[in-house]
Amino acid sequence: MYSFFNMNFIIPDILLLLFPFIVIGSRLFCNYRSQLPWRIANFGFIAIFILLNFIPLASGEGRFFICNWKIDDFGVLMREVLIISAILGIWLSKDYFEHGADGKPQMHQIAEFIGAIAFATFGGVTVVSACDMLTFFLGLEIATIPMYALTAWNKKDQLGSEAATKYILMGSVATAFELFGFSYLYGFAGSLHFGEIQQAVAAGTNPLLWVSVLFLFCGIGFKLTLFPFYTWAPDVYEGAPTPVTAVLSVTSKATAIAFLVVLVFGPLAPVQEQIAPLIALLAGTTLFVGNLGALKQSRLRRFMAYSSIAQAGYIMVALLGPATTAKTAIVYYLFVYAVSNYLAFFIFGIIGHHREETFASLRGLSKQNPSLAVALAISMFSLAGIPPLAGFFGKFHLFFSGASTGHYALVAFAVLNNVLALYYYIQLIKSAWVDEPDGHLSPLRLTRRQRGVIVALSISVVALGFIPFLSNNVFAGFSF
Amino acid sequence: METILFNLIWIIPLLTVLVCVPLSATRTGILKAIHATSATIVLLIVCFLTYRVYALTGEPANELAAPLALRFFTDIPWLSMMGAHYTVGADGLNILLLALTAFIVWGGVLVSWNIKGNQKVFFALIQLLATSVYGVYMSFDLVLFFVFYEMEALCMYLMIACYGSGRRDYGGKKLTLTLAFGSSMILATLFGLYFEGGVNSWSIMELSKVSLPMEFQMWAFPLMFMGFAVSSSLFPFHFWSPDGHSAAPTAVSMLAAGVMMKMGAYGCLRVAMFLMPEAAKIWLPYVVALLIFNVVLGPFIALRHKDLKYITAYSSISHLGLIFLGLAALTPVGLRGASLQMISHGFLTGLFFATIGMIYERTHTRDITEMGGIMRKMPFLGVGFVLAGFAGLGLPGFSGFIAESTIFIGAFQQDSTLTRIVTVLAILSITTTAVYILQTANRMLHGPLPKKYEGLTDGCFREKLVIVVLVACLLFIGICPGWIADMLDTSIAPIFEKISAATQPVISGIGG
Repeated sequence: MYSFFNMNFIIPDILLLLFPFIVIGSRLFCNYRSQLPWRIANFGFIAIFILLNFIPLASGEGRFFICNWKIDDFGVLMREVLIISAILGIWLSKDYFEHGADGKPQMHQIAEFIGAIAFATFGGVTVVSACDMLTFFLGLEIATIPMYALTAWNKKDQLGSEAATKYILMGSVATAFELFGFSYLYGFAGSLHFGEIQQAVAAGTNPLLWVSVLFLFCGIGFKLTLFPFYTWAPDVYEGAPTPVTAVLSVTSKATAIAFLVVLVFGPLAPVQEQIAPLIALLAGTTLFVGNLGALKQSRLRRFMAYSSIAQAGYIMVALLGPATTAKTAIVYYLFVYAVSNYLAFFIFGIIGHHREETFASLRGLSKQNPSLAVALAISMFSLAGIPPLAGFFGKFHLFFSGASTGHYALVAFAVLNNVLALYYYIQLIKSAWVDEPDGHLSPLRLTRRQRGVIVALSISVVALGFIPFLSNNVFAGFSF
Repeated sequence: METILFNLIWIIPLLTVLVCVPLSATRTGILKAIHATSATIVLLIVCFLTYRVYALTGEPANELAAPLALRFFTDIPWLSMMGAHYTVGADGLNILLLALTAFIVWGGVLVSWNIKGNQKVFFALIQLLATSVYGVYMSFDLVLFFVFYEMEALCMYLMIACYGSGRRDYGGKKLTLTLAFGSSMILATLFGLYFEGGVNSWSIMELSKVSLPMEFQMWAFPLMFMGFAVSSSLFPFHFWSPDGHSAAPTAVSMLAAGVMMKMGAYGCLRVAMFLMPEAAKIWLPYVVALLIFNVVLGPFIALRHKDLKYITAYSSISHLGLIFLGLAALTPVGLRGASLQMISHGFLTGLFFATIGMIYERTHTRDITEMGGIMRKMPFLGVGFVLAGFAGLGLPGFSGFIAESTIFIGAFQQDSTLTRIVTVLAILSITTTAVYILQTANRMLHGPLPKKYEGLTDGCFREKLVIVVLVACLLFIGICPGWIADMLDTSIAPIFEKISAATQPVISGIGG
């Protein structure tokens, strides 16, 4: 059972675990201005990403390491999403450690910042690899706790501290819910191991199981910003520094959805049909509420918070499908969502450096900086799901997965909601493209790195959709 | 070779956009030259291929594409996870619509020569819009079809809101969101088609071979038909069109009214009616009832408007109503008439919006009460406008007459009292059409010339060329409709066969 030989597949995970210690430790050997931690971080993340691509996919059940660490196709692809998110996150944050509007850096201690992001990433990896509830829970906590610290990273910002307090309180309640759910699940199955829980669930159900399912969904509902539990998101997204908001909206969301995927297609797989109405209800209400909330926003990050609540609802639709279809759809969508979302946040970050982060600051962007306006339009249309951009294909996969088990009504509802979403994304595009320039706005200056990243992300948003052959490669062959 | 040329139709506009990306936005001369050349090349390719399709009529087509007789058939696996393919092909119907699109895009590029604002982005958006329309008409795979169909939303808002006139943001949003609403209705049913069809294919040909469950058809057909009808401004989804068209720049009005509104009617015929014929027979009589608004009331509303673009938009609404009358007739003659009307109306409304745009560029108003006597200053543009009007009111010799009379004959053949009543009303409403067109032409072109218009000039060579070409097309269809009708008949035959073979008993609709 334990194959101690040929365990190369575990190398990236071990590197990822050591990585934050190396980055933080590197501070011992250099002064606070040194670029060393940042260079190590870049090199490390990219190296791990490349190593991950060497793991061949289509491994069936997946490979096991000491029986509670599983690496399957979904896990490998989720690792890639998480690492892409981490890389883009630290690139986005770099500017905040260099200069601000007043010439001083907004945040300090880049090494610890990167370390926190790396810990969060490792937490996500733990969630997708876990084979028992203890590891699973541990992963979720490792992913969440660094985010509390990251939210309050800008110590001078009162909003940030408020957001962090709110987040930590809400997060603890959510954790309590989850633990409660886990304990009932343990009581029901008599085992921590997913395989044995699955057998117990398949053998028969009783109310204890439903109570635990309900609590687990409530707990993860906080982290995934599902309908009744989403209220913390807009405040935290607005209070946190922009790069942290971006990481929060991608890494943290990816971790939470991975949690649900592992749960629904793992231990709870035998009762997936019974919990489908619950998932459908959460999905429908979440995407509707997210879309409604976004309609009237005028601050960019608050707007993105509601937009990402709606996206969580769309992702939930896919959970209704059969395992393979749903997992592929969700991973593909997360890739697309990460790229589109980071593109938006990069642009908002640039705006935020020189101006306030509101819709009004975007006025006249198409005249002052046409390329930035084009990039903004690309990212917004992608998030709205307009072909041929990647977002459309992502959503198409999600709806395909939802419809494959006959949930046409929910899919139709989600699709109609897309029109609502298109309205507010267009609202944002209108500020940038149609409104006349405002003379009081300070001009935007782009550094070479910002320009490069924005061009690269725009191209990938277009190409991931325009040439969806790529998606083929990623899932069918993965012939690296 | 011809297959490659055929696939180039949508690739060339896209390549043009890519070629122009590195060019500086200030070098407008080169940009416009590139775009005009590319539009001309596509036009030539499409004309050649149209001729080839005509020449190949009767010869056996690709067997893979049965039951449709498709030329230049290409089928490449695309998104393997969902079973979507890249499937394109041409039969008489869609190659003619492609030809129409090529003419309108070519005209659209030429008339936007002096557009204000960032020309680089504008022309890129026109080419993207062209790609989307070409793609819709070419594709026979539902995913591919939908991708192209929905692509328009991306271009339309930006073009109207940034380059339009009047209430451009409002008009652009209204148009884009209503169209997106329509396409979301279509998307919702597409999944149903795939999973209920049970052939694991999005191909229109494959799906047409199976008979979909009646329960599914009963809810899916109206949803899909209305989804398509939104973009053809069928009542009650017509409200976007006047505001959208009047706010849009000339080229966008031409494209939107000329070809994009036909995408809806084309989708109704090619996808909704072809794949769900049983439900079509049950639901279409209700559609006829909706048409009373489009066909009969549309012209009356046009009569009361003073803005040239509003008048033309309502005239489009009434003409598109006639297309649906032809479709709802469910007779071969009616379907042929509907397809003829799609092509004919594309040219005539293109000509309408082109001349209006040229006149507006000079007078800076579209209010007909403020104009007068401009025929004296701009005889060429005036004549172009009047000819478009004549074609619109169905003067024999122009394409409008052929198309409309075919529709009326086809609709009258349908054995249903309601259809016949609507047909008679539609025939009578042509009088109203004549009234508002002649009244508009009279107020605008004749009478005393206001002082401020003393310095107006007639169209330049570029503008005259567009008018001449579009008028020539109208006359060509009007004088020799036989060739086109032959091409249409062969491509409509399989669709009609499928509809007439629908096994469900025909439940007579209202008044049947």
